[in-house]
Amino acid sequence: MVMTRLPSEIRPVLESGTPGVMVTCSADGTPNTTVISQVYYVDETHAALSFQFFSKTIKNVRENPRAFVCVFDIAGLAHWVLQLQFERSETEGPVFDAMDMQIEAIASMTGMSGIFKLRAADIYRVLSVERVQHPRWRM
Amino acid sequence: MIPGKLVRFLEQYANVAFAGIRDRDLVPFGHRVSGWRIGVDQRTMTIMLPDEFLAQLVESLQHNGELAVTVEEFPSHETYQFKGHYLHHRAIQDDDAESVERVRRRFVRSMRPLLPDAPEDVLSAFVSPPSLAVEFEVREIYLQTPGPGAGTRLIPPMEK
Repeated sequence: MVMTRLPSEIRPVLESGTPGVMVTCSADGTPNTTVISQVYYVDETHAALSFQFFSKTIKNVRENPRAFVCVFDIAGLAHWVLQLQFERSETEGPVFDAMDMQIEAIASMTGMSGIFKLRAADIYRVLSVERVQHPRWRM
Repeated sequence: MIPGKLVRFLEQYANVAFAGIRDRDLVPFGHRVSGWRIGVDQRTMTIMLPDEFLAQLVESLQHNGELAVTVEEFPSHETYQFKGHYLHHRAIQDDDAESVERVRRRFVRSMRPLLPDAPEDVLSAFVSPPSLAVEFEVREIYLQTPGPGAGTRLIPPMEK
């Protein structure tokens, strides 16, 4: 079922620390796929993604604000697909501070402490969200 | 041409992949990838995809051909992105299924230390059975391992 608001069931998945994937597209039509460490729940209609490096992803969403994000719920045998629209960048405030702390925690857990530094919290409006169940293999 | 070092990474170590496309309105979309193979000339890759959003995938690929596939080794997070152009798609064959099975085994092995009590079928479900194979010509390869070097173009090499 396609929804236009982030349901409560997605919050534990976003907060699990499992990496997600983001797809963006440049103005000339070239897609870019990258692993992202964190999708931050802002409210029912907004999510935040970290801006840590001047990457192709950052360049793309400033040229073309549409973005696709997939987050994985491995234990729940599912993933969530989100269609997002970039709205603004925040360099201070409660969302920025909370993401900064989470990034340091994730970096520490994955042995990458000191590599990641949050430059900004990029705020996206949620256009759609959908849960996709994975079939089980016959073992 | 995909260098030998990356061929070894793809065939022996990588265990997670994702494909990015875009439609005629430049709206991006992503697809899980269950497995992959490198062409004998090391200029093409074939990816195997589960039965999710495939009509949208084929329509976009036939419209513009643009494809960006990120392949990762979890949990080291060594990651590369292969950008290229769609050549064709077809039904899954026996050797595709064998490639997916090797990826599935590598993924389960990598997850076992993190989820020691998880049943095998739960971990395996992350790599879904494939329904479609898409072959594309690899034109650019980027380092995508998280960190400040992510996004560095490896093939063709960047001018210094």
